[in-house]
This record gives sequence, structure tokens and C-alpha cells, in this order.
Amino acid sequence: MTEESKPTLNARRAFLAKLGGAATCAGAAMGAATLGILPNATAKSEPGADGASFPNENYDWSKHEWAFGVDATKCIGCLRCVEACKRENDVPQNAHQFRTWVERYVHLEGDDEVHIDSQQDPVNIEASGSEKTFRFANRYKDAKVYKAFFVPKLCNHCTHPSCVQVCPTGATFRTKDGVVLVDETYCIGCRYCVQACPYGARFFNEEKHVADKCTWCYHRITKGLQPACVEVCPVGARMFGDREDKQSPISLFIRNNRVQVLKAEMGNAPNVYYVGIDKEVN
Amino acid sequence: MPKHIVRLVLIIAAALVVAAIAPRILKVDSFYRFGHYRANAVPEIAAREPVYQTPRYCYGCHTERRAQWSAGSHKTVICEVCHGPAQGHPQDVKMTIPADAVKLCTQCHEAMPGRPKTQPQIQVAEHSGGQQCTVCHNPHSPKITVATAKVSGNAATGKQRAAACSSCHGDAGISPNDTWPNLAGQSASYLVRILTAYKTGDQTDPIMTPLAQGLSAADIQNLAAYFAGESCKSETAGKPVGDAAAGAAVAKNCTACHGEGGRGGNPAWPKLVAQKPGYLMNVLKAFRAGLRKDPMMAGVSRGLSDTDIANLAAYYAAQSCQNTK
Amino acid sequence: MDAILHFAPYTGWVYPNETIVEWSVLIAVYPYLTGLVAGAFTVSSLYQVFGFERLRPVAHLALLTSLSFMIFVPTPLLLHLGHPERAFNSTITPHLTSAMAMFGFFASFYVCLLILEGWFAYRPYIVHQAQQRSDLLGKIYKLLTLGSYDVSEHAMRIDRKWIFALAVIGIPAAHGLHGYVGFMYGSVKAREWWSSDLMAVIFLFSAIISGVSLLAVLYVASCKLRNLAVDLACLKGLAYTIWGFIMVALVLEGLEFANMVYKGHDGIDMIMHYVTGPLLVPYFVLQFAVGAITPFLWLSYMIWRGTTGRALVIGVTVSACLVLFSVFMMRWNVVIGGQEISKTGKGLLSYHLYFWGKEGALMAILVTLAPLALLFGLTKFLPPWAETTDAHG
Repeated sequence: MTEESKPTLNARRAFLAKLGGAATCAGAAMGAATLGILPNATAKSEPGADGASFPNENYDWSKHEWAFGVDATKCIGCLRCVEACKRENDVPQNAHQFRTWVERYVHLEGDDEVHIDSQQDPVNIEASGSEKTFRFANRYKDAKVYKAFFVPKLCNHCTHPSCVQVCPTGATFRTKDGVVLVDETYCIGCRYCVQACPYGARFFNEEKHVADKCTWCYHRITKGLQPACVEVCPVGARMFGDREDKQSPISLFIRNNRVQVLKAEMGNAPNVYYVGIDKEVN
Repeated sequence: MPKHIVRLVLIIAAALVVAAIAPRILKVDSFYRFGHYRANAVPEIAAREPVYQTPRYCYGCHTERRAQWSAGSHKTVICEVCHGPAQGHPQDVKMTIPADAVKLCTQCHEAMPGRPKTQPQIQVAEHSGGQQCTVCHNPHSPKITVATAKVSGNAATGKQRAAACSSCHGDAGISPNDTWPNLAGQSASYLVRILTAYKTGDQTDPIMTPLAQGLSAADIQNLAAYFAGESCKSETAGKPVGDAAAGAAVAKNCTACHGEGGRGGNPAWPKLVAQKPGYLMNVLKAFRAGLRKDPMMAGVSRGLSDTDIANLAAYYAAQSCQNTK
Repeated sequence: MDAILHFAPYTGWVYPNETIVEWSVLIAVYPYLTGLVAGAFTVSSLYQVFGFERLRPVAHLALLTSLSFMIFVPTPLLLHLGHPERAFNSTITPHLTSAMAMFGFFASFYVCLLILEGWFAYRPYIVHQAQQRSDLLGKIYKLLTLGSYDVSEHAMRIDRKWIFALAVIGIPAAHGLHGYVGFMYGSVKAREWWSSDLMAVIFLFSAIISGVSLLAVLYVASCKLRNLAVDLACLKGLAYTIWGFIMVALVLEGLEFANMVYKGHDGIDMIMHYVTGPLLVPYFVLQFAVGAITPFLWLSYMIWRGTTGRALVIGVTVSACLVLFSVFMMRWNVVIGGQEISKTGKGLLSYHLYFWGKEGALMAILVTLAPLALLFGLTKFLPPWAETTDAHG
């Protein structure tokens, strides 16, 4: 190997100097970031800091574990829940996007196939007169009905929600009290969560351009009220409560009944418990 | 090392530094505090104002309604179900009183396959002839409960006592004239109720009131048993007071309580079959005028014209006693 | 966005919220574009890494093609998002459990890699142009030189090392860029039509055949435009690549379908009804018979007979066009098809492709053709032709 010529040596030194300078700058920046000289997250005065009650002083989410129950043997398919939810939560006024809905299952005599319909069915839309009010058309009143029942549906607020898993930004999440929410200021509207939900509980809100779904009326339950759908149900087919309280209606419902959940095989661990559904309800 | 490589490496290094730092700077407030989400979203969502106020909100002003409602069969149906959400009421919002009761009530009460049998349901087309539900039902306490009086009298004893009634109501309970009603074959439970009502003053009639006051409870039971056991007799001849065919159409609205052709439904209510037309007309007019007291009949008769009343009377008078309950 | 929502008609039983098909044709175009990016890069890598000398005439064209399409890759996504202005949320706070969060990283990394590799590949040309020209373009070339005009043997050697390294890194990067999309679909357990372990691999292999086919078509077109003879050895090399990878793609797709039918999970009846009904033509006829089997047979024949000359050019070009069509149909059948099968397993919806609108057919066509327009411009700025550029790896 020949001795390096001076220009090359100088070039090498210059390069090393430059590299050293770059490394120092990078290191300093990294250090600054790590030390948190840059703006930090929690300020002392914000709720939730140092174990204070969150989300507000009247309600502490760490003290509740919410769950929902549906007794489908009681449901009369009046759809007050659907209407109330739409009004309570500003859900778009149409018959194709719901935070909660009711399905009707009908078996006719001599017919193997089950007939299922819900609020988006054109015949039902016709019966109600518009896409803003809801009603089941009495289409089977002259038929020989072998078996029929109604099943209310809503977001299951799963313990292992598919929607939360797939959200690329963290706009949808599960709270400490077990409610899956959507941050409408952060959602980018990609609708991956709408695809991922096995239950069809989510939809894309065209007015706000974000994903939307049942929140178990979080703004009500954190004030000691019931979700709107539970409140208006005239027959008590829906119930809601705190599993932390072993004597709450929902705890007793789960304890005293053989309850089941929808699509258990998905592994989502839903928190809406059903009594009185049938084999083809999924 | 060639210049361009050095410069390139510097550019790449700078870019990496920016890429590492940028998320921390650009990250929104409160993100990552409790998990991979913006923590402040939770109180923001929780702060939304409820729209439905629950019945408690209505109790403060609407005490009378509350009393009716909470004692009635609709106590599981909150006010806002029918009247809409109360947010903003009374300052900014006037609550609606539903106009079309049929549309509203049948949403829950239309007989529909799939509805549990515990839910009161009606065949809409056959129930009220298109009349609004509120004609008969109080929406705040809709169950029509007329206490079906207990019937425990002795017909034979009653027959003896009934001798005093025959001057107006005829032998064997078939009235000799058009003014006073036939009693033969009438529902015993109804007779007990109405006689007791006359006795206590719940119902008033210049003739029946003093007469009923002279009856003991046992007398009332026995008389009721006796007359109920007597045979209804079809009305013969006389010029019809109205158009029976037209009356039949109007009478569709009456079948829910009085049965097909007035032959009886709920034993708490009187049979009308083959009843004296003059009596029927007087009674309907009395209900309409409020002289004879009954909230349901008052509502039902309010919309009847004199012609309707005459037609109804003609219709029921012409009905045959056969197949009477 | 239109005020009136477009509800999909349906048969059978579907969840009420499903009556709006959320992922439109643009979401089928997006993996098509990333597939072309990955496939074009594969051609470049076959030359740079695996030493397929016969592909030299298309090597630089492949890089430019990859870059042109890569620039437009975010477009269909931005058009689709409800809040495109918040798009960076997924890069600032990426939710690492979400396959979609990977997009920001793969895409930024890959576009930088392509720019970098292209820069190295074109450095001699850039330096030359910077020295020759004094107009505005000359200034741009000067900027791109980063102030260095060193094209000595030593510098070139270092450049070649960089190109090689980038090409090597680029292969898994391309697989990541396109593979994550396939993984996204394959991991959605809610839809039987999507849920499959093989989905990512199927996407990758069909991406490769689409990219190579695109290069074949572009190469032949560019020769025609420049009135030059097509390098038949190069074209044959591309043809062999398409032919080989079609086989793999067909096997994978066949396996995936066979598995689904064989396992027969709940909902399979509706899938079979769908595939033999509304999807019969788009799936079996267009995607497979016309778009894959036909070119495969034609290429097999040409390879067997040693076809050459004009017949080869026509055969390969037409086959490549059919493959391009087939791969688009595959994206369509997966994305749209999947949404047409209800999550209830008891109903079917039907997606209506509107012509106008932010997510309509016209937009899809524009988004797919725009990269070609960019490529045309780029070839003027950085000519990829082996005949005119200074020979450089």
C-alpha cells in the first residue's frame, strides 16, 4: 500500500471532522428530546394528573366497569330505542347508519330459511313513511308464522376490540371503564375500523367525516344516567350497569341467566350479554 | 470520501434526526397519557349535554300527569317516548302532544308476529274502526279497568224482589215501553255495578237513585242474578227509529267493549242486543251531554250526531238475541 | 362529499351499517399502484442485484417507473380519507397494532430509497448536464449534484456500492410497502373473503407480475416512440419473469380459494353463491381465464416454440396488457368483492361505481394514468435509455 498523498489525507481529516460535527449535533438534539426540554405532556393542573378523578371530578372512570344486557325475549320491536339514540347522539338522519338497531327474525311454516329484516329494509322504510322515523312493517301478519322474535343490536364494546387494534392513529380506544370511544377530532376517516368490526356496529359519519358508533351514551352514564336506548325501552329489554356493583341489574342479569354473546369465536370478548337469542343470530 | 457522499450522509442524518424528534413536537396534547389515544377526548365526550331528560325532569311541574302515569300501566314508558326529548323545555322548546295517536300507539301495540304475548296487542283494522286511541284510552293510564263486580246472588230470591221493578222494566225483565231498558239476559256483573253506582251516587238518575238507595247489597246481588238468568227477547216491529244498516257501520267502533252486535264482551259492560231503541237514544244523548257519567262513553259519544245515535239505536234494537253470551 | 348518501342495494340479510360500501374503487387502485411500484423495482433489482444483464435496457426505466408511481401512491388514499389534513396523525402517533399505521413509514422510507437510488444511478448524467447547461434546467441539475462533480473511478466504485446496497434493501422494503396491504386484508377476521394467511403473499406475487408487465409494455411503447428496435433478449427476460411469477401467483390464489371452500366456515354458502353469481365474470372469466390463464398459455407457447421477432413483441405486449388487467381485477375482486359479501354471511350487496365524484371511475383512471404522465416527463429530464445515457450501473 502506497503512502497516502497529502490531499487525500486532508480530505479524510475534513470528512472525519464533518462527521464528528454531525454526530455531535444529532446527539445534542436527541439528548434534548430525551431530557424533555421540548414540550411535555402532563401539566399538574389537568384532571387525571397524580391519580386524580378522571375524566372529571364528579366521575372517576377507574371505579366502574360497564356492561350491557339484552333480553331479546322481551323486545317488542317498537324501535323507540333506535329513534331515541338518533336524537340523543345526533346520528345522521337516514335508514342506513345506526348506532343501534333492531333485527327481526321470522320462521314461516314449511320454510327452512329464516327471514331477517331491519331498519334499512325498503319495505320497513315505506311503512314508517320516511328515513327519519322507524317502524317494522307488519309484513307477516297474514302469514303462517312458526317462530318470530326481535333482537336489538348495538356496539358490543369488546374487551379485545378489532376496531381499536386496526386504528392507525389511535383515534378509537377503550377507556378504563370499558367503553370504546372515537375521538372525532383525531380520526382521519380511513374506515379500517368499519371494515374490521365483525358486528357491523361502526359506520362513517358523512357529516363529520369520521368513524362513528354507539358510545353507550358515555355523556349520560358518566352523569349517573342510563343510555338513551335503555331509558326509553318500554318493556325493559335493554339494561345497563356496573359490573363492579355485584347487585346492579346487569350483574344480576349475568349471574341469574344463561347469557351469551355474539360471535364469541372471533375472540373479541364482547360486553353486551344476550338472553333469548337463537341459533341464527350473529 | 467523495464530497457528494459526505453531503448525502449529512442530509440523511439530518432527516433522521427530524424524523425522530418531529413526532414528539407534533404530538397533540394529552396523547399517550393513559394509552394510545388523546386522553382529553374522554372528558370532551363526557361533557356533552344529555338530550333525553328522564321523567324526573317532568315531575316538578307535571304532578297530576305524574300521578296518573306512575299508577298506570304505562309507567314503564317514559314521558319522552311519546312527547319527544325534553332538553330545552320549557324555556326554548314546547313539548309536542302527538297528533296521530293511532300511528304512535300502534308502533308498540299493533299485533305483530314476534311480539311477546305479554305485550298488549290489537288487530288495528278491527279494533276501533279508525278512531283515535285516545277516544277510549287515557294515554297516561291506558288500561281500561272497570272492576268486574263479583256476582254471588240468588236468582230465586232476586225474582221475589224484582216484583217491584216490573212496573217499569216489565215481567221477566222485558220492558213494556220504549223508554225503560230491557234487563233480561243482561250481564250480572254490569247490573251489580250499575245498581251499586246508583246507590252510592257514582251514577245519578232521578228515578233510579232513590230506588237503588232502598236496596241492600244482597238485594242488588240477587236482582242481578235473577235478571241475568232471564231470556233476552228480540225486539219486534215498531217503526225503526233510524237506519240500522248505517248504524251497523258506526257500531263497528263499539264491538271492542260491547261485543259483536252488542251481544256482550267484557261482562263489566252492558249488552246492547235487542235493547229498546228509545232508551238507547236517551242514554247516548245523556252520555254525550255529560249527564250520565262515564269517561269512556263520554269520549265515544262526543263525536256522534243525532242521526248516528238514531241509527245505532235502530241497529242494536234490530239485533237477534241468538248467540248472545 | 355528496349530500345524498349512496346506499348499496342488497339481497338477503345484511347489517344496516353495511349498506354503504366504504372502500371504493380508489382503495382498489391503491394496492394496484404500490404493486406496480414493487413490481417495477423487482425488474430493477433483477439487474442490479441478481445480475440479469439482459435487463439492462429497462433497468433505469424500471427505477423511474417505480418512482413515478410511488409519487402518486398517496393520492388515492388522500382522496378517500375523511380528514386528509390529519393524514400525518398515523405517522406522528402510529398505532403499532395497526397494519395501516405502517404505511407512513414504508411509504416515506421507500420514496426516499427510490430517489436515492435513482440519484446514484443518474449521477454521471446529472453531473454532465450540470456542466453543459446554463439554463433553468441546468440550475436544477447543478442543485442535484450536491456541489460535487466527482465522477472519478473511485467515486463511481463507491456509487456502485451504494446502488447495490439500496437495491438489496429495496427488495424487502418493497415487499413491506406492498405486503402490508395484503396483510391488512388477510388479517381482517370479520370478512371470510379476506381473512387468509396467504393474502399478503398473493398480493406480492401478483404485484410482481403487474410491475414486470408494466415495464414490458412501457419498454415496447418507448421503443416504438423512439423508432428503435426492441431488444428481444431483454423482452424475453421480462417475459420469462412474468411467466414464472404467474405460475406462483396462480398457485397461491388457487390454494387460497381451495382452502376457503374446503374449510367451509360459516358463510361459505353465500360466498359460493356470490362467486358463481355476481362475481363469476369478474373473477373466473376476467381475472383468471382472460387475464392470467390466457397470457400464461400464450407465453408458454412462445417459450416452447422459441418465438422471436415481431411475433414475440406482439405476444409479450398483449400478454402483459392482459396481466395488467388481471391484476387490477384481482384488487377489485378482493376489495370490492369482499365488501359485497355481508359480514352476516347471509346476504350480498352491490357496489355501484359512479363515474364522477371524488371516488369515482374518472378519478380512478386519472390517478392510474397520472404516474405515466410524470414518467414521460421524467424520461425527458433523466433519460433512462441505455443507448443515450452514459453507461453506468
